[in-house]
Amino acid sequence: MAKIIKIGSTPKISTVNLAKTSRTTNPFKYTNFDGTSLPYADVFEGFEPKNISRLKLIASSVAGSMNKIRTGITEPIVHFVVGLKHGISSAWDYANNTNISDLKSIKKINEIANMQINLPGETLIKNSVADLKMNISSGLENLEHGFISFGKDISEKWNSITSKIHSGKISSGMSVSELEEMWKQEIANAGLKGAA
Amino acid sequence: MLNRNIVEIIDALEAHEDTDAIRVLEEIGTNSPDNDIREYTSRALVKKNVHDSLKIVIINQGKGINDLSPSVAMSTINEILALKDKTEVIKILDDTINMHSDESVKDNARSVKSLLALN
Repeated sequence: MAKIIKIGSTPKISTVNLAKTSRTTNPFKYTNFDGTSLPYADVFEGFEPKNISRLKLIASSVAGSMNKIRTGITEPIVHFVVGLKHGISSAWDYANNTNISDLKSIKKINEIANMQINLPGETLIKNSVADLKMNISSGLENLEHGFISFGKDISEKWNSITSKIHSGKISSGMSVSELEEMWKQEIANAGLKGAA
Repeated sequence: MLNRNIVEIIDALEAHEDTDAIRVLEEIGTNSPDNDIREYTSRALVKKNVHDSLKIVIINQGKGINDLSPSVAMSTINEILALKDKTEVIKILDDTINMHSDESVKDNARSVKSLLALN
């Protein structure tokens, strides 16, 4: 009854809505949300969030962004196409009329590639190597002399120390006559002690 | 008790390469009235293990193995027995046994050689 009244008051709209509603399961398909939502976004209502396909969510966000872009274009498409054409044609002209070797980056590459390395001459290299060799050998020689002199100094100091330590000791380094005299002196000292 | 300096002098003369050291050891050491000095000197002469030094302690009456002090004689014999190379000492003992004029020296030499044979 209610339907008959509704059809009677707005026959055109009702007919259209009924016809379209009968062909789809989504009652909000043709509802305009100003491009911010998908026609089938409400299909996922009632489902658990974990069951929502990630791919579908991404697709919905992409479609929404595209709608925003479409609504954001205020310039007439004709102007846009003309500008684009002009840009492409100017780029084409530039590419045709410009020598590739005149490009800055290509120039820089060519400069580096053609750069002449100013190495010293062969004789200079030989002399440098000879000088280096001589310097190394002289350095090693000086080092060797240094070590030898260092060793001699250490040896002399060690000998002086040991001689000082053994200065009061009797050793086979003394001559036989010296040892004989010392022995006689010891006997004499012992005799004096015994007499006292 | 041996004087430390005398011990060092005898050791130095024992190690000395100069053959004159043997003379000093004989003149002063083996003629010393001190038994300890004679004993130590005789041992030093044996340790030198050369003909001249061994001859002093083997063929001389009153020295080395022929010393009147038993301690000196026994110490000298022990040192002879302890020698690694006994070639020279055996040769001198043989010569002493065969050629020495004193019978007591011969007997001592014979006894030492017997000990060496048993060693």
